Amino acid sequence: MGFSVTELYKKYGDKVVVDHLSFKMDQPGVYALLGTNGAGKTTSIRMILNMLAKDGGTVEWNGGPLTLRTCNVGYLAEERGLYPKNTLMDQLMYFAALRGVSKDEAKKRIAYWAKRLEAEEYLYPKQEGKKPVKPKKADQLSKGNQQKIQLMMALLSDPELLILDEPLSGLDPVNTDLFKSIIHEEIDKGKYLIMSSHQMATIEEFCTDLTILSRSKTVLQGNLAEIKKSYGRINLFVKAEQKLKDLIEAAGVTILSSVGFSYQCRVTGEAQANALLKTLVEQGITLIAFELREPSLHEIFVEKVGDVHEES
Amino acid sequence: MKNPELHGIGTVFRYTVQQHYKTPSIIVFLVILFLLAVCSMPAILLFSGHEQEVTETQIHTLYLRNESGFPLNAAAVQADARYAALTVVETDEDDEALSERVLKEKNAAAAVLAIREDAVELFRSAADQKKASKGAKDQFTLRTVYGENGEVTSADAETLNHVLEGALHQSLLDSLAITEEQAVTVQSSAVSQVAKLSEFRSGTEESSTDTHVFLNIGYCYLLVIICAMSIAHVNQTCMEEKVSKLVESLLVSVSPTALLAGKLLAVALFIFAGFGIVGIGFFISWQIAGRMGGFSFLVPTLERFLQFSISSIRISGGTLLLLILCIVIAFAMYAGLSGISGSCCSKTEDLQSASFLTMFFLMAGYLGGAFAPMFENDAVNLFCSLFPVTSVFTAFPNYLCGKIGLPVLLLALVIQAATAVLLVRTAGRVYKMMLLYRGSVPKPKQIVRMLKEERAAAKAAAGKEAQHGKE
Repeated sequence: MGFSVTELYKKYGDKVVVDHLSFKMDQPGVYALLGTNGAGKTTSIRMILNMLAKDGGTVEWNGGPLTLRTCNVGYLAEERGLYPKNTLMDQLMYFAALRGVSKDEAKKRIAYWAKRLEAEEYLYPKQEGKKPVKPKKADQLSKGNQQKIQLMMALLSDPELLILDEPLSGLDPVNTDLFKSIIHEEIDKGKYLIMSSHQMATIEEFCTDLTILSRSKTVLQGNLAEIKKSYGRINLFVKAEQKLKDLIEAAGVTILSSVGFSYQCRVTGEAQANALLKTLVEQGITLIAFELREPSLHEIFVEKVGDVHEES
Repeated sequence: MKNPELHGIGTVFRYTVQQHYKTPSIIVFLVILFLLAVCSMPAILLFSGHEQEVTETQIHTLYLRNESGFPLNAAAVQADARYAALTVVETDEDDEALSERVLKEKNAAAAVLAIREDAVELFRSAADQKKASKGAKDQFTLRTVYGENGEVTSADAETLNHVLEGALHQSLLDSLAITEEQAVTVQSSAVSQVAKLSEFRSGTEESSTDTHVFLNIGYCYLLVIICAMSIAHVNQTCMEEKVSKLVESLLVSVSPTALLAGKLLAVALFIFAGFGIVGIGFFISWQIAGRMGGFSFLVPTLERFLQFSISSIRISGGTLLLLILCIVIAFAMYAGLSGISGSCCSKTEDLQSASFLTMFFLMAGYLGGAFAPMFENDAVNLFCSLFPVTSVFTAFPNYLCGKIGLPVLLLALVIQAATAVLLVRTAGRVYKMMLLYRGSVPKPKQIVRMLKEERAAAKAAAGKEAQHGKE
């Protein structure tokens, strides 16, 4: 059961754009595909969805090849668009029909999602005065509102596998929260989600497992919590009311960055951090903050991708 | 539908058609086209001056000036019941005096019968007797004049002119003391033809070169309109999803093959429905024209001016079916070609350069089709009928005119259909391959290379998948 990608491979001419990517999801949850621009995330997604021919590898859903017929997929593409001159309702009904949703069911689902995504005013415009109300067309909507309609299209078939490519890019904070709440709902419903994003905080909020791609290669893969655990608590944040640079360096701690009397440091482990704390207390330093924590996904990403960039 | 690649064709087709006919400008355009078709024949009838003959005349007096030297029997005019009470006054007055009379008398008309100067010589020359007798019918001019402010109408004068023409003819026969039958027998001409033995044996009749040229040009015009519309619509339709950036969202719901096929079918419907509407309009127009006095003059006029002989064309219910088949295949061929060019475009500006090759083939086919009959050469006709670029334009009119037989036409149709299938399939592959492509329009060489690479990759992936399945 579940979803798996094995040895996915693609090249254009001599240039390899996806180099033997493999990952799997044995149970519902969120899997993140991360990477720098041009790392091969979107190409991988297109191959997973059979939009691009694979030069190698397999994509399986519940033990068989993943096709339009074997898996109900919902996809929010990074490149967003709608037919500009067609009405929104027509387009939604069209997508529903293509996915085999009956007319009546489609109408119900559209009504549900219109309410849920606060898009009722665009889909069911109210009559003002005696003038007949013209249904809204896509080019009459803002980018954010068009994105709502596209998310509706992806969700209309009640998909088992939902692929979201940069789902929150270009949204205002209110709509970001709205989209996040919907993603949480889909996770709670037991869906399989694959998410690609540059917003690390968003990925950290949702995903359980991840793959980081850099220049077509997998540079890090696994369970996010375990990856973080493997790094240990090596990030130290210290804030005081005076300069601490000399004391921190004397304790053998590396300062990564500093702003005023705040210091982002890297320690070898808890023992070194405790030793520094002891020194600071003994010196009578008034501490405002002293926080030892695991590295953030952002820090892991920068470290891993930075390594590859340096190597190349 | 069993083939998953074709799943969704119906939905794409319905949606595309629905959206097309929801556009108000298209509806307005079709209505205008329909109205123009309906009005066309009555308008021709009205402006051509061929009006319905009157049953009761307002002309009481006719001033006749006969300059021809041949007698015009007035009794023959009065023999027509409508002109039984007509007074025919023979006169030598000049144009000015005749005009005065017509102006003054509200129920009068004037007629001038003359013979052309050169024809006088012709009739007198013994050496040109044969020529004279052959051209004699066109040597007289008979002009009936009526006053615009009187009670005589144009139709009334027209009818009288016809009656006078008949009287002149009868007078000429009387003067030579021959009957109508004798005149027809003497003036009868023979249609001379050169026929191949196969045609002679099969009893097929070959039409004249003029008929062939006329028919070819007419058919080529029709096809160029259909193919040009096909090119414009298909190019647009292939780009639509790319331009609207909707392609990726669509491809998780429908295969590129089904998407393209559904859209091509919709385009075919727009075009053929458009022609159907115009056809219905012409049919209604014909009916109206029939009630207004008929179109009986049209075919003979066309035949005389264009040297066109409708009787020598093979027309039957079967030919109509063949015509529809030929047009559908031609549409499919050019839809396939423009499908390839349209798929290579990422934006509207790319269309011009991408469509160059398609337009080149269209124009080459059109020119070949339009000019081939002028060579009057069987080999040229056969080549043009079988060569795919010109075949769609020439095979059907060649068959209609008896230049090729049914077996050759069927072979031509098989070649055309095979070419159309190949082009549409290639268009499908290019469409699938280029749907996610963004960039400048690739050259034909590059497209062929990309197609080869894609086929090799697909084979390799299929092999690996099969191996993976075994494991």
